[in-house]
Amino acid sequence: MNTVTMRKNSIDFRGQNRFEPEWLYNIRKESWNYYNDLELPHRSNHLWRYTNAQDLLPNNLEELIKIIPSLPDQSENDSSYGDEDFSGYGYNRSDFMTFARLSHDFEKSGVVFKDLLTASRENEDIVKKHLGQLVGYGFGKFEAMNLALWNTGLFLYVPDNIEIKKPIRLQRHPSGPNTIHRLLVVVGNNSKLTLIDDYSGECRKEEAQSNSAVEIFTGDASNVKYFNTQRLSNSCISYITQRAQISRDAKFVSVFAGIGSKISKFNTGTILNGEGAESKLYGIVFGNENQHFDYHTMHHHTASNSYSDIDFKVVLKDEAKSAATGLIRVEEDALNCQAYQVNRNLLLNEGPKAESIPELEILCDQVQCSHGATVGPIDQDMLFYLMSRGVDYKEAMNIITLGYLEPTIEKFPVELGELTRELLATKMKG
Amino acid sequence: MSKNKILSINNVHVEIEGKEIVKGVSLQINSGEKHAIMGKNGSGKSSLANALAGHPNYEITSGTVELDGENLLDKSATERSLAGLFLGFQYPLTIPGVTVANFLRAAIKARNGDGIDIKNFRKVFKEKMKLLKIEDSFATRYLNDGFSGGEKKRLEILQMAMLRPKLAILDETDSGLDIDALKIVANGIMESAPKDGGVILVTHYQRMLDYIKPDMVHIMIDGRIVKTGGAELALELEAGGYDKLETEVSQEVGV
Ligand SMILES: Nc1ncnc2c1ncn2[C@@H]1O[C@H](COP(=O)(O)OP(=O)(O)O)[C@@H](O)[C@H]1O
Ligand SMILES: [Mg+2]
Repeated sequence: MNTVTMRKNSIDFRGQNRFEPEWLYNIRKESWNYYNDLELPHRSNHLWRYTNAQDLLPNNLEELIKIIPSLPDQSENDSSYGDEDFSGYGYNRSDFMTFARLSHDFEKSGVVFKDLLTASRENEDIVKKHLGQLVGYGFGKFEAMNLALWNTGLFLYVPDNIEIKKPIRLQRHPSGPNTIHRLLVVVGNNSKLTLIDDYSGECRKEEAQSNSAVEIFTGDASNVKYFNTQRLSNSCISYITQRAQISRDAKFVSVFAGIGSKISKFNTGTILNGEGAESKLYGIVFGNENQHFDYHTMHHHTASNSYSDIDFKVVLKDEAKSAATGLIRVEEDALNCQAYQVNRNLLLNEGPKAESIPELEILCDQVQCSHGATVGPIDQDMLFYLMSRGVDYKEAMNIITLGYLEPTIEKFPVELGELTRELLATKMKG
Repeated sequence: MSKNKILSINNVHVEIEGKEIVKGVSLQINSGEKHAIMGKNGSGKSSLANALAGHPNYEITSGTVELDGENLLDKSATERSLAGLFLGFQYPLTIPGVTVANFLRAAIKARNGDGIDIKNFRKVFKEKMKLLKIEDSFATRYLNDGFSGGEKKRLEILQMAMLRPKLAILDETDSGLDIDALKIVANGIMESAPKDGGVILVTHYQRMLDYIKPDMVHIMIDGRIVKTGGAELALELEAGGYDKLETEVSQEVGV
């Protein structure tokens, strides 16, 4: 049996830190209790059929519990920001100190971008209202752990009617055996934002774990693009849960590219919570060696006339494994929705394994819905066609791989597509 | 023009999944020559062509093939192309996500300055597109994705024109073309076929040969070349049909 009852060797939560407000401490403590009470997800639970939850469990909880994000060094935080390509830049240091810098263009705009701990005091009303609402302790064991123990956090607030033209870029580096990231984004009505959330770096310890929770709330008629790249080194274990809730007439594009980690469990989803909301979820995974990808996508329609589309492609080689589960749920009173999803998997040799499972929970009968899933080997005739033009085997495989992914990458916002192609090129060289 | 042998095929046998399809074919092509191989559907023309180009499903079980004096059969498909062999596919593949321009750029790059300099790529590419009356917009379309039969065949000739092989085997490049397209393709072949190399036109119609006069015509039946002659053989065949020829041949062989 895989179930472990944590209570018997549970650890008492730490005392309140002088930097954290009481409400935050209470949420953390409550989450901690929840974490301890929850059993480890068992393989019979469909979202855990492909990954052993034990592999994601920290083995140094006693140390982990003591790590509280340090408040950023103000001098460094306030230093001028002059990057031409980005409107803002956020990152975490290996000592769990988190920094956020915003272009001077937004100084008087009301945009708030700072570490989550500071925000929990200085922007208490917004943070308190949203934190843990989409990815809270009720979500699951590892989400409860995140809310209890996050040791690096960022907060971004964009008020109504603000257009942030250039992307804001976050760089998440795992440090030490466990990095627990938390991101909260709240975007107002009619505002525009592109956010690049980039997980990269060498994990210093073998099997270093990175657990990240991302919550995004968008206002009416807002336009938000979120890009999640997971390119951690192949010794890392990565767990990411991301949820967005989008409002009336809002447009949300969520894009992901997963190429890193030894084990990568990724759960991304959007709740279409306002009439006319539109969510596009496009992503790719390219795995090799012994990499393991367990990806779950979700579109949940709670409002009428909402539109969702998922296009997710996977390419695997060597002995890599992937499972893609994709849920579309349309509530009974969400009328005239459109929901589409497709997941395609290409296997470059005999070794890899891929599963693709679409799940539909359509409670309303006025709906337009389609889904498709394929798993297939490389077309030998296609390979021969390229080779007959003088291209060598390896290059031909790369061309076919990129070609396979390209129609999906083309749907990404242009700048994110470019980044993805660069990532793939780097991975293919290695 | 010196009469060196560009292609020399000696008693080649080809099997597909253990079944013999080509049953001993010999063929010599001198530089500057154009040969036609004609024959009914299923006679083994494409199998021979694919085997020569190195398709892994077509196994050459015996015989020898030399391209410009070099043994071809110990080379991979890639190496055969780099050595100067070109196969124009009867059924060109669709490669979604790979644009025509990128596909060709990869092929040119593989030649590493041997042939067109990658720096001149755009210029030559445009020139050849014009020659084959292919619209510029095709450059950024995915290779053969949604192309008509005729467009695919033009694309094959475009590739030949860019890669400048020593020997081109054009497998039914004429089929599926209307008369205007046939003219354009034939003209493209004439303009860009290797002048001191060789061309094999695989076809079952005479009409292509009205535009490209072959030096030799070979008739293939059931995996064998049963008759070889000059350009007039194609006309004879057109008049009498394959059936007449088949009975003729089986009588000769049968007795
Ligand atoms: N890939 C293949 N797999 C199985 N049989 C094949 C394959 N290609 C060709 N054949 C068979 O080989 C014979 C010759 O076919 P082919 O070479 O295509 O003839 P042609 O080009 O002269 O029409 C046919 O009987 C055909 O069915
Ligand atoms: Mg044929």
